[in-house]
Amino acid sequence: MVNLTIDDKQVTAPKNATIYEAAKINGIKIPILCHDKKLKPFGACRMCLVEVEQMKGRQIPACTTPVTDGMIIRTSTPDIIKARKMVLELLLLNHPIDCPVCDKGGDCDLQNLTYEYQVNANRFSDEKFHHEIDYSNPLIERDMNRCVLCGKCARICDEIVSFGALTFISRGIETKIGCEFEGALNCEFCGSCVSVCPVGSLLARPFKYKARFWALTNHKSVCSYCGTGCNLTLGVKDNKVLTTVYDENQGFHNGQLCCRGRFGYQFINSDKRLTTPLVRKNGVLTEAGWDEALELVASRLKGSGASAAALSTPRLANEELVLFKKLMETAGSANYDHSAGYAHAALTEGFARSFGATASPATIPDIQKSDLLLVIKTDSYETHPVVGFEINMAVKNKGAKLNILSDKRGKLSKLPDATTLVHTPGCEVAVINAMAKAILDEKLAAGSAAAIPGYADLEKALAGFTPDAVAGQSGLSAAAIRQFATDYAKAGKALIIFPIGNAYPGHNADLASAVANLAILTGKFGEGSGVLCMAEKNNSQGAVDMGFYATSGLNAGQIIDGCASGAIKTLFIAGENPVVSYPNRAAVTAALDKVEFLVVSDLFMTETAAMADVVLPACSFAEKEGTFTSVDRRVQHIKPAIGKIGKSRTDFEIFGTLIAKLGGQAPATPAAVFGEIAASVPGYAGMSYASLGEVGAFAPVIVKATFVAPKAAVVEPVAGKLALVTGSVLYHNGTLSQFGEGPMYVCPEGYVELSRGDAAKLKIEENDLLNVASATGSTKLKARITPRMPEGVLFSPYHFGAAGINQVWSGAPVTWVTVTK
Amino acid sequence: MNPINTFVPIIQGLKITLSHLFKKPVTLQYPTERPKVAERFRGLHALNVSHNKAKCVACYLCPTVCPAKCITVEAGEDANHDKYAAKYEIDMLRCIFCGYCVEACPVDAIRMTGEFELANYSRKDFVYSKERLLEKK
Repeated sequence: MVNLTIDDKQVTAPKNATIYEAAKINGIKIPILCHDKKLKPFGACRMCLVEVEQMKGRQIPACTTPVTDGMIIRTSTPDIIKARKMVLELLLLNHPIDCPVCDKGGDCDLQNLTYEYQVNANRFSDEKFHHEIDYSNPLIERDMNRCVLCGKCARICDEIVSFGALTFISRGIETKIGCEFEGALNCEFCGSCVSVCPVGSLLARPFKYKARFWALTNHKSVCSYCGTGCNLTLGVKDNKVLTTVYDENQGFHNGQLCCRGRFGYQFINSDKRLTTPLVRKNGVLTEAGWDEALELVASRLKGSGASAAALSTPRLANEELVLFKKLMETAGSANYDHSAGYAHAALTEGFARSFGATASPATIPDIQKSDLLLVIKTDSYETHPVVGFEINMAVKNKGAKLNILSDKRGKLSKLPDATTLVHTPGCEVAVINAMAKAILDEKLAAGSAAAIPGYADLEKALAGFTPDAVAGQSGLSAAAIRQFATDYAKAGKALIIFPIGNAYPGHNADLASAVANLAILTGKFGEGSGVLCMAEKNNSQGAVDMGFYATSGLNAGQIIDGCASGAIKTLFIAGENPVVSYPNRAAVTAALDKVEFLVVSDLFMTETAAMADVVLPACSFAEKEGTFTSVDRRVQHIKPAIGKIGKSRTDFEIFGTLIAKLGGQAPATPAAVFGEIAASVPGYAGMSYASLGEVGAFAPVIVKATFVAPKAAVVEPVAGKLALVTGSVLYHNGTLSQFGEGPMYVCPEGYVELSRGDAAKLKIEENDLLNVASATGSTKLKARITPRMPEGVLFSPYHFGAAGINQVWSGAPVTWVTVTK
Repeated sequence: MNPINTFVPIIQGLKITLSHLFKKPVTLQYPTERPKVAERFRGLHALNVSHNKAKCVACYLCPTVCPAKCITVEAGEDANHDKYAAKYEIDMLRCIFCGYCVEACPVDAIRMTGEFELANYSRKDFVYSKERLLEKK
């Protein structure tokens, strides 16, 4: 800490602070346009000029000057105010004063400063700019006439998002922010640039002209897409969520969001929302009252025992999942599960046996503290984009080494010094086993590893996994595998990251145990180390923590089979859309057709809800109270931001009423259920809504390490066929994002991605409609030719109802398909 | 009681009354006679028109400043990506005719006319839509 004087006030500040930061910490406001706390100092706007006595009263920028001991700083002498006024006059010289039609009005830094410094007239005169406005995409509007050249958009796109879509082009008075070759903006549309723009140059088009900022009521919430647990501020007007509002002080991610988080909120107030309960009468879903619908459901569930089953989406709040479980128990059934039954196996089976806990022994903030990140699948960026930003920052700012093991290259592969080993699909476990073997062989294991239970068995099991043996089947060189093993073992702090989810059946319990073995062997635990298993949905980790998966009953796959065989007569699906998100659509559809009584509670008339006998309209995350648990077990409290849409009810109310109708005792409020959770779930002890506050709290994970020998499935290539791998695309998460306008603008339909080599061989061109066929079935998808795919491998995202890939994909990690035009 | 004190005020009063019999009457024989409305009278609003369209750019300043919360604006985006008022409504039952909307308008899109005959038969007729508010040429 250093001592200094700012405006005659004795203050202290950290040694590496700039004058601007030191002033901010001590509550002294210095006006600025080009600063964001996430970005490196830039010094573009010249608004933050201050006088430092030691520098002979010269005016220096506060945002780029580090503090030194004994500095005497003045932030608002008449000379400085005069200088700032002149800066504003010069900025306003070219700025079109179109505040009445500019959507930034009311939230504009330039407008606020102009008002504050009373710049009413301009001593200079010049022509305004006449740059063409970029309306080419439906999410971000670029009006360079309003730009003040602070460079924040270009910097955030480079430093954090690592896309580099925007940059300064031309020089002098001609300087502007532009895209490559002055073209249209075509990026990943995370909207980070929009969030930091101090003026109206970059605007969110979905919110354009919808309301003024001052008319919005801001409600803090948690994003309901992926498991990262990003905090959101919802801008609400007239019971409608109109936008997400940027708040640089919110969450571990400092307000940073991805495309779906920032632009995918429209599902909340979508016209397609279900507003009344529906009951099937004479084969047609007809509007009904809540009493009628719930009475019908209760009568079917009452005493149904093991013939009833439940599938839930892990998007429900913890409290709702607890009640859902209680409902099934009251009905006498232990058949409940989520996420196709396998998508949580890495946690519930893999980590359970390897770590003695069903959660990851690492947190997202660990990423930036690590020396080496071992990422399994480049898809980690697509599944959890804000975690991806953390990886970008760790690599670019903190110098972390990035090693990626993947079946295709991806955006992460482009980071500086990232090493990507592209293996043949489906052999992740074998490669990781080979790394463990190499660590053992090269005596890089921690000294204490031999004392951990299962060591001898692991040694024996790994005997066949020498890097040389695995090199052949994985398409990698033995030296590369050894290098990865050495890098990992020798790094001071090393973190393994891998995503799980419906589309990643290969990321199973064995993969979890295999990576756990690496961490246990080398003792990589503690700050900046560990294993981070990233569950797919906003509360996937919570669903596991609440025990909403098959323990004594049937799992999701068995429930679907049970429906088909007639063993399951009543199926209650809450929020899940198995017809689209589970593998093998034909089999799932047949099973749901067969089941006697199907109840679906959902926000929308999904493909699954359309088959139901009773459809219950549920509430979105913006209408309910509860808690979500993120991938790193950060438990966060959400509160209603808007009133309920139509006659919809929260799942909490639905399950509570049904429990009461079945003669059980249901807690009245989510807070009461959270009290039960705090008392019974390991790690949640001592938590309450009050203690969670706005930032939430981590549920600690206690690791009891055991070596488990993972089975490595061998994927045999099929001659003449291509390997299809499924996955998530950056703009979507599960099937919910199909109802978010932003994600659907950018990625409206499924596609199949293939390499240039394969495309040339099969004479396929971009956007050709391909018939993709496997033993399971076939579908027609558009071709997308990219350099990132290795030859012989196809990739297709799974989120889409129309022409879904699950018509082709049976649930195997790798599906062998033929592609014809 | 002094009679002078009793009658003098009465006579003085009658003098004033009598004098008015010979002056021009203050009352108007409305509706046959029309009042002359002062130039700055604040009556019914009108939306100014320029180049055959409303000048209003839907900046939302008038609904923001309106103390009676009687103005409803919804902005729209036209074919040229320009902002215009897709909906502009004033609820005359709530309006207090303070004129703040006129004062706040940055583009001189709204003014107040001398029109004061706003009586109507049903409540919904007091909600003036954009079409009714557009100035009559």
